[in-house]
Amino acid sequence: MITYIVRRTLMAIPLLFIITVISFTMMLMAPGDPTALMMDPMIKQENLEAYKEAYGLNDNVVVQYVRWLGNMVQGNFGESLIRQGVPVSELIIARLPNTLLLMIVSSVIAFLISIPLGVISATKRNSLTDYSITFVSFLGIATPNFWIGLVLIMFLSVHLGWFPTGGVSTLGGDFSILDRLHHLILPAFVLATADMAGLTRYSRSSMLEVLRQDYIRTAKANGFKNKTVIFKHGLRNGLIPIITILGLMLPSFIGGSVIIESIFAWPGIGLLFVEAAFQRDYPVIMAVVVIAATLVVIGNLLADVLYAIFDPRIEY
Amino acid sequence: MIKKRFFTMIMMAMILIIAACSDGEVKSDAEGAKSEGSTTDEKSGGSLYLGTTAAPTLFNPYYSTDTSSSTIEGFIFSGLVTVDHDFNPEGDLAEDWDVTEDGLKWTFYLRENIKWHDGEDFTADDVVFSYNIPLNEDYVGPRGLPFEVIEEINKVDDYTVEIILSEPYAPFITITAQFEVLPEHILGDVPVADLGTQRFNTKEPIGTGPFKFKEWREGEYIELVANEDYYLGAPKLDSIIYKIVPDMNTLMAQVQVGDINLAGISPEYMETAKNLEDKGIVKLESGPSNSWEYIGYNLRNDLFKDKLVRQALTHAIDKEAIVQAILDGSGTVAHGPGSPANWSFNPDVAKFEYNPEEAKKKLKEAGWEPGADGILEKDGQKFEFVLKTTSANEIRQQIAEVAQQQLSEIGIKTTIELLEWSAYVEETSPPKWNFDAIVAGWSIGSDPDPTWFWHTSEIENGLNYGGYSNPEVDALLSENTKLSDLSERKDIIGKADAIVTEDQPSTFLYNPQGHLAVSIDLHGPKFSAANTYYKIHEWYVE
Repeated sequence: MITYIVRRTLMAIPLLFIITVISFTMMLMAPGDPTALMMDPMIKQENLEAYKEAYGLNDNVVVQYVRWLGNMVQGNFGESLIRQGVPVSELIIARLPNTLLLMIVSSVIAFLISIPLGVISATKRNSLTDYSITFVSFLGIATPNFWIGLVLIMFLSVHLGWFPTGGVSTLGGDFSILDRLHHLILPAFVLATADMAGLTRYSRSSMLEVLRQDYIRTAKANGFKNKTVIFKHGLRNGLIPIITILGLMLPSFIGGSVIIESIFAWPGIGLLFVEAAFQRDYPVIMAVVVIAATLVVIGNLLADVLYAIFDPRIEY
Repeated sequence: MIKKRFFTMIMMAMILIIAACSDGEVKSDAEGAKSEGSTTDEKSGGSLYLGTTAAPTLFNPYYSTDTSSSTIEGFIFSGLVTVDHDFNPEGDLAEDWDVTEDGLKWTFYLRENIKWHDGEDFTADDVVFSYNIPLNEDYVGPRGLPFEVIEEINKVDDYTVEIILSEPYAPFITITAQFEVLPEHILGDVPVADLGTQRFNTKEPIGTGPFKFKEWREGEYIELVANEDYYLGAPKLDSIIYKIVPDMNTLMAQVQVGDINLAGISPEYMETAKNLEDKGIVKLESGPSNSWEYIGYNLRNDLFKDKLVRQALTHAIDKEAIVQAILDGSGTVAHGPGSPANWSFNPDVAKFEYNPEEAKKKLKEAGWEPGADGILEKDGQKFEFVLKTTSANEIRQQIAEVAQQQLSEIGIKTTIELLEWSAYVEETSPPKWNFDAIVAGWSIGSDPDPTWFWHTSEIENGLNYGGYSNPEVDALLSENTKLSDLSERKDIIGKADAIVTEDQPSTFLYNPQGHLAVSIDLHGPKFSAANTYYKIHEWYVE
């Protein structure tokens, strides 16, 4: 197993390298640069040129990439082009915990809601309950979660005032876990909806598969209660493929957080990425790309490792 | 074994959650008074919650260029002068000033009772230090232009400064002298080349303004607290919280629930704002903005070289319909450049009213005849062009659609191209000027000098994107900055604007109305095109 993990990790290095080359090239090929924000009568062309020269923006893409890569492998993401003098790492450190918190809590919500629904759906196959859960799942898959977010903000925050409209905490207030949770619930729930529907369908199929197995029939024949058979024998095995999805969900959380953080004014790296993309803050964009790509690679590795841990039949 | 691993994973997740719950912000080391929330005494205290959809960049006026940063800099720092609601210069750090008859020597008499936020005395040394920054050869910042005219800055005594100009420059008092002064005792030893990246700019700005920097919570807000030692008296507000929100929808939602108590309203959100006013949540303060919207033509393109053609294009566009249908009446039809909000505005310019028949007549006069497909033709060339604007501005998109429709009625084919903001700027500005026509807008600033937009010298590297050139206008504009007498200057600018209007390098569409949504318990804000936050130290929340 250790050899496998090491091998996979080493394989990730060229993959990440290719991702950075493609991202960097696309980013610099896109029209516009950070000076687009400086449209002001009081700015001379010479000032803009001096700025570009000082930040190496006039160098060709290869020179800029090599310089960026050289710094990055030493753990230096450079300085923001817009927030002059502020290291990119400082911006990331300030925002990453918010994104991780959102991702973890939304994963927990997605699992806590989807798995029981999937199990109920499977055990009550072809019943009204099953059809209802299936209907809601497909509705969930078909509905963009940014729309769900906007609707919830309108009703629960603006009209009813039950939740804040955005942000991570009450401004000017002292730190409190309850306050953080109050701000967290809506965005985490909406982010969770992106995966909930799929997870419910997946856990339903997985449970149906397990319930058809001989050992379930044997357990039932041995006189175990239905509840014991489903939860002790069935669920344990049915969960194996679902848990492995955890890793595969990471990429969708990163993508989803960009949208959800924008809607809920949640200051995580998703929102940072959006801001940086509009401002053409190249070092910040690249730092987020590297982090997101690394998370995706880790997610995939995690999925494989979890599979090996939970399914003794798998060997590496 | 599985249970143990699962437990470990749960534990790791919990640790992450707790880590995330702890402060993940860029904190300031600067000390400030503790915020007391929004509990207030009547007519004194409370917090002003502002919202912005564009995060500020840094707080140093010699390096920042964005509106959010400038707004916050205005609270933290002070300049030699400020402007009142009507663009008149008013003493700030300078109690008074005089200028020699030739307009070359300005003497500023500074106030003596002013302290920096760290308790040090403000003196002439700070002014000499600050105004010399953009003049330094190592300066890599965007603010060189307003200081170019300065030949030397001399400290006469601790509270008197004289500034010698190389030539008379009327906007000196309302542009250059408005630049905020920085503390020499903190930044004096920093090499000028490094000033733009100082910790001072983002973590601990120290000024002389009514509010002190307290904290910049990354991606969330900037908090300022009242400067009890402000020279005009301690501000009534306890603090200002400048919230960063992702977009206008979120901002409007926060205005509605009272999380933001002052916000500028763009035309597309006026209906929502009016609803909030009807419900008694906000009151709207409105007035003419110091700006104009236009369809600008690239005069390098043969299609637009003939003045008759440009006048015809203006005749073909129903500006009143645009104002009523797209802006919901929140603007006034413009015929020429400038804004009625500004003292230099000349309303007596030629008017090319909506008249499609007149447009057709002028186009015929210019040699354009309808082709077999109905599109105008001349020397085998069809009259068709691309109308560009930015996808970031819904109103401009709608204007482009209306213009497309109305121009098609006189036989002109237009294609609309929407570009993301940064791409739009790169395509339309020097050195590319890659456009036929654009839907855009200009703000005038605290001085009405139109040189930026119409002078031939601004074609190569400046804001004269369309490439308009008229020697008569050049001469008038060169003259306008040399006059210190306002009425003489108004006359000269008015003449230049009248010629520009006759030439129609752009179809001037309208002057927008500006609107502020103010929560009903906030007292003080009044819409002003010149200075929204004028006398902010007197504002309060009831």
